[in-house]
Amino acid sequence: MRANFPVRLGPAEDALIAQLKAAGADSTAERITVAGLPTRRVESYHYTDLKTLLRAIPPVANAANEASAPALRIPGAFNLMIANGAIQNAATAPAGVIVGKADGGVLTTRDDVLVHINGALAKEALTLTLENSVDPVIQVERRIEGEAAHVADALKVFVADDASATIVETFSGSDAAHVGNHATYLSVGRNAVVTHITIDLSARAVSHFATNEYQLADGARLRTLVIHAGAGLARTHVFPRMAGAGAHADLTGLNLVADGQHADITMETLHAVPHTSSQPLFKSIVRGRAKAIVQGKLVVARDAQKTDAKFMHQGLMLSDEAEILSKPELEIYADDVVCGHGSTCGMIDEDSLFYLMSRGIPKSEAETMLVRGFIAELFDPIDDEELNEALQTIVDSWLMVGK
Amino acid sequence: MTTPVLEIRNLHARIEEREILKGVNLIIPPGEVHAIMGRNGSGKSTLSYVLAGKEDYEITEGEVLLNGENILEMEPDERAAAGLFLAFQYPIEIPGVATMTFLKAALNAQRKARGEAELSTPDFMRAVKEAGAQLNIDNDMLKRPLNVGFSGGEKKRAEIMQMALLKPSLAVLDETDSGLDIDALQVVSKGVNALRDGQRSMLVITHYQRLLNHIVPDVVHVFSDGRIVESGDKDLALKLEAQGYASYGGEAA
Ligand SMILES: Nc1ncnc2c1ncn2[C@@H]1O[C@H](COP(=O)(O)OP(=O)(O)O)[C@@H](O)[C@H]1O
Ligand SMILES: [Mg+2]
Repeated sequence: MRANFPVRLGPAEDALIAQLKAAGADSTAERITVAGLPTRRVESYHYTDLKTLLRAIPPVANAANEASAPALRIPGAFNLMIANGAIQNAATAPAGVIVGKADGGVLTTRDDVLVHINGALAKEALTLTLENSVDPVIQVERRIEGEAAHVADALKVFVADDASATIVETFSGSDAAHVGNHATYLSVGRNAVVTHITIDLSARAVSHFATNEYQLADGARLRTLVIHAGAGLARTHVFPRMAGAGAHADLTGLNLVADGQHADITMETLHAVPHTSSQPLFKSIVRGRAKAIVQGKLVVARDAQKTDAKFMHQGLMLSDEAEILSKPELEIYADDVVCGHGSTCGMIDEDSLFYLMSRGIPKSEAETMLVRGFIAELFDPIDDEELNEALQTIVDSWLMVGK
Repeated sequence: MTTPVLEIRNLHARIEEREILKGVNLIIPPGEVHAIMGRNGSGKSTLSYVLAGKEDYEITEGEVLLNGENILEMEPDERAAAGLFLAFQYPIEIPGVATMTFLKAALNAQRKARGEAELSTPDFMRAVKEAGAQLNIDNDMLKRPLNVGFSGGEKKRAEIMQMALLKPSLAVLDETDSGLDIDALQVVSKGVNALRDGQRSMLVITHYQRLLNHIVPDVVHVFSDGRIVESGDKDLALKLEAQGYASYGGEAA
């Protein structure tokens, strides 16, 4: 029900409205003036009440020219960087990769405040056109440097028909209380095979928001992996549109959260045409008093017959105070489909732990093995050895901090 | 007198207010193989878990000495490093943990705990290959996640392979024969017998006499209602097989 009196706006909303107006985004500013940031009463933000969680919006970022080392080293990768929203010069691109710039606003409009804000504030977009298969991993570093800043940036990728590529995005920067709002639009051509990994490695003080939108053509195969392993508050949107017959997406993600952190992966997959499939598989590992959320919505359009999709979220609680929340949703307008959802949640299995320890493996090492085992399903399909190794180090260092 | 490998003195253990072990006494000298036979539910697996250090049990009385050292205060991994090995009646499947990764972690953790250097990868591979060959464990099995999708027999063979690799001073085999056909039983027994070296001791828990034709024990103990009620030589097993456990009292399982 809509209240018929104006909502009370907080300092975060005031700052945001001023920034939007300064950018000429009057309609977005107006929306926030009327409704405020979404609260738990807005269904898609029920578990991530932005009005409560987002206390301040820092000033819009000044351009930065950063040349610091990548937050995650992937040997042999081709590196690109966006620092404080500005696209940095890159080394010579591998054959078939065209690097360019375009205006910001890469996402399709939808009723979501973070999407609106990105569209209004992202000035420019890094564009990548992959004309053929690209061997080296393409790594896009997105950084927010210096004093606390509000940054909106954008990336647009086109992968040509029959091409294959692995794209990794990392989010990091200085320790200040930044708010990052990142957008990626990825179009996967006919029969193209793409792996897209986004990893939040920002500082604890950061609020990290990202929206990953995908468009899949006939026979396209996409694997995505979202990893939340940094910001105090993180929310990543995964919005694939299965738009070509035979398209398949493995949509995966991992929330790694500890004391005081809040991480949310919100997926909404649209199966728009017949004969497409998706396999959403998300995992959350929570330690201390912290919260991990995965929302997964499968939308099947009216004639999208033979859609095959199953959403799964598995949680591993490493403490009693941990909270792991799942919200699966099915919105199905076709009748000949196989769709489902499931979720499980548990602690480390005591019998498994005892078995490993009975062979001489000390408790903390045995726990690490079991946690790695829990995640294996997400990492095993990542064939690039150096990349796989790099992903393991993220988990290992997260576990190490907790010991 | 040489120090026994295992000495259990008046061991009492309970789970959830229920006493399961009611005063177990047992001495196993170096190199001897002792069998424990008893009906289902008499507490045999409980004894094996208590020895290995499973948390669920409360020890209310008694002592367990491994090579003269009291182990009841030790964590399971410390007991393993001290020379104890339990072949589980029901080995646990652990998805996501590769068998080779597990074996290497176990072997090196024990070596580290004993102050020995870690094995190099080639030395480790050689050791695994050697242990595996005896028990018909091929590369294919080693590539799978730990015990996942192994048949009952494969699991038991994998347990004995782990034992061959870890070279404990005391091996407790809990119903290693259950679920094995005669061929598998022979492979497993051969693997076990190959590890009898005059020093290593074994406690072979079984329900059936059959296993003891293959792994011939020095002493047979009859276990009933949480304690050892009779001990004798290997012929005691034959007597049990013929007469059943009825004469030892306790509830039928
Ligand atoms: N976790 C448990 N909780 C309660 N009772 C148990 C538990 N485990 C075993 N018991 C009981 O302890 C007794 C001994 O079991 P067990 O040691 O497995 O016997 P055995 O191996 O000789 O068949 C049985 O009556 C069994 O029901
Ligand atoms: Mg038993």
